[in-house]
Amino acid sequence: MSGAELNTRGRQWALGALVFLGGFEVMVLEIVGARFLQPFFGGSFYIWTSQIGVVMLALALGYAVGGRLADRWQQARPLGMMLVPAGIFILLIPNFAGGMLDMIVDRYAVAVPVEALADTENEPASELIAELPADFLQGAEPEAASETPTETAPEEAWTEVPPFWQKMAPALGSAVVFLLPCFLLAMISPYIIRLATHQVEEVGTLSGTVYAASTVGSIAGVFITAYVLLDHYSSTTLFRATGWLTFGLAGLCFALDILWPESSQNKSDSAE
Amino acid sequence: MAGIFPKQIGLSGVVLLLALAWSVQGQVRLRTSSAYNQITVEDAGGYRLLRFNGSMETRMWLPNPLFGHFEYTEYFQMPLLFNPKPQRVLLMGLGGGSMVRAFQHYYPDIHLDTVELDAKVAQVAKQFFHVKETAKHKIHFSDGRQFLRLNKTRKYDAILMDAYTSNQFGTHIPFHLATKEFFALASEDLTKEGVLVFNVIGTYDDWRSDIVGSMYQTLKSVFPHVYHFQASDTRNIVMLAVKSKEPLTSTTLKNKVAALRAARPKLPKFFGPRVARIRAQAPKSAANAGVLTDDFAPPGGLLKSKKR
Repeated sequence: MSGAELNTRGRQWALGALVFLGGFEVMVLEIVGARFLQPFFGGSFYIWTSQIGVVMLALALGYAVGGRLADRWQQARPLGMMLVPAGIFILLIPNFAGGMLDMIVDRYAVAVPVEALADTENEPASELIAELPADFLQGAEPEAASETPTETAPEEAWTEVPPFWQKMAPALGSAVVFLLPCFLLAMISPYIIRLATHQVEEVGTLSGTVYAASTVGSIAGVFITAYVLLDHYSSTTLFRATGWLTFGLAGLCFALDILWPESSQNKSDSAE
Repeated sequence: MAGIFPKQIGLSGVVLLLALAWSVQGQVRLRTSSAYNQITVEDAGGYRLLRFNGSMETRMWLPNPLFGHFEYTEYFQMPLLFNPKPQRVLLMGLGGGSMVRAFQHYYPDIHLDTVELDAKVAQVAKQFFHVKETAKHKIHFSDGRQFLRLNKTRKYDAILMDAYTSNQFGTHIPFHLATKEFFALASEDLTKEGVLVFNVIGTYDDWRSDIVGSMYQTLKSVFPHVYHFQASDTRNIVMLAVKSKEPLTSTTLKNKVAALRAARPKLPKFFGPRVARIRAQAPKSAANAGVLTDDFAPPGGLLKSKKR
């Protein structure tokens, strides 16, 4: 194998790793995130709705912007520059997210006036007892406690989250914490397609490979996080690790053109 | 000829089995689904059953709804030992309303708030399980933790936790209702002598004993005293976490029972025998169990969390 060939192979592996790990990280954030949001917004179905919706939104935006930036810059370094803030953000999620989510929960809680509830009791409980067969009564108290409910004082209002915000507050919380890092990570795939493309004839194969690698990374992220990581590590640890991994990806972008420069032939191709 | 007999026996056997299955399975009264549960109401052998996603939640004797419930629900009346005349009690997780029926019947003076996530469950409970909303009982549709977080005005004498999610593999505690942070929040909303009751599905030394140990440790990390009762008819352990620092001894327990009997002469008959099942020592599995926190509550285990 010639030196140029080895170089090309190394570059391919590096680009593949970037795509795979980018996809992996997005799903680690989604799954750990769902768990992280639960104490704030409850174990509701809307947590998952929010996480899935927000991550898809981040992917759409990241793909669109990442592709355009790749066309403009055509180098890995700027992508690395974008991943550094993503890493810092993810690393600091355990530090800032709690306070922000608390604010969101409190923001949409409203006082609900107490409506006077009519006493809908249509059959007194003691009548139920009267229907009992005699033998079943043995060991059971035949008579209810005789006190009748006394009048209740007028009640203070309840604090509740209205139905609309029960749906939207988790989405907002999810967006505040996860939209930005997932957006930045989503830029990797289209960016890498641009970096790896030399001839238009290979774009089909190449983009297919990149999509597949990124998605396989995501699949791994989902299952490994849910089945293994959450059983052994705290959310804090996982956010920190994901942050450091993002720095690693940024480092890989910076090193890419130094360690595995494109061959001159490729360069002339891409310069058109 | 010889071949005919076995065939006939086989056929009648099948018919018998089908008949048996039919009688055991009973009559389905309702099959519906909500955002959270597939709900089935079924009448079988004189009982009405409530199932979520296949798991049985509630059993109620049809001729008298005050009977037929699972024994574990009776331990939810134990907070009365510590306060015979509680003003306000909070119940998390309505299900088929066994506890609501009991409280409304035996202790009609107590103000009951129920928090239920699934509005469909409340509808079913009202329609099929004699659960009533009255001036003394309000049902709130909310997540339990969010309800406590937003509650800044009310103090409860007891908080009763029976909120589970179910699927065909069984029932699971929603983790955010089982962590140290959650219990600290609950403790804030309890009165000075308040009690939190938690239904733990598991056994002392075999099936899910690890979760029993973890729950004990987690409750103990917030409350000074935790007592527990093992139900005799199902695999439930009901934990009683007490805010008061005063420890329970056989003498103080005897006094508390006497005080309760004086305050409520018409206690249900089962009360005494249930009190007798109280245990104060830590369950064996607590020795190597960890405290569950918001940060670390392994989903594959809330089942097997290790000491960290």
